[in-house]
Amino acid sequence: MPDTVRNERLSDVWGYAAFFGWAAVYIGARLILELETLDWRTRAVVAIVPVPLFAWVLWNVSRGIGQMDELQRRIQLEALALAFPLTLLLLMTLGLMELAIGLNPNDWSYRHVWPFVFLFYLAGLIRAKRRYE
Amino acid sequence: MRNRLKVLRAERDWSQADLADALGVSRQTINAIETGKYDPSLPLALRIGRLMVQSVEEMFFLDDAGGPSRVTPAAKGKK
Repeated sequence: MPDTVRNERLSDVWGYAAFFGWAAVYIGARLILELETLDWRTRAVVAIVPVPLFAWVLWNVSRGIGQMDELQRRIQLEALALAFPLTLLLLMTLGLMELAIGLNPNDWSYRHVWPFVFLFYLAGLIRAKRRYE
Repeated sequence: MRNRLKVLRAERDWSQADLADALGVSRQTINAIETGKYDPSLPLALRIGRLMVQSVEEMFFLDDAGGPSRVTPAAKGKK
């Protein structure tokens, strides 16, 4: 097996490891933080634990995009070109609705809103990939 | 923009994957170029030209140009 192919596969393995590692730790942190018995210092530490892992995921994504060819990069750009304005639209709407009627933080806190950004990116990715198929 | 990439590739009996490997791009990129859904960057077009031993003008042309560049080597010599 050529070195470049081996390195790409190793890179993929680390990418998946980073993602699933972060997902497991994030879910664990969410479950722990649901407990009311912990003091605030412990809760703060638990809340911070997933952050470096997510930074590792982002670093892997960034490196992966750097290894893509020009069309793949364009697809990523078009995905973000949809996700970014949709995110702005969501945040603006929530901000105005919060002023208007007061949103329940249990329904519309940051922890509930940020997955939408990921969903917008996925929608943009699917749309862009279809365009060039 | 249109191109003759599919014809040139077929003449050499290369698959899209063969060409993609030779150029260091994905097969999807080759397919998108061949179907006219994506116009390659100038560096990629030049790399394709080098591989196919063709000039960029002989492979890629505008929709309203009617076909490959009609500038022949003889015509170039007269300039």
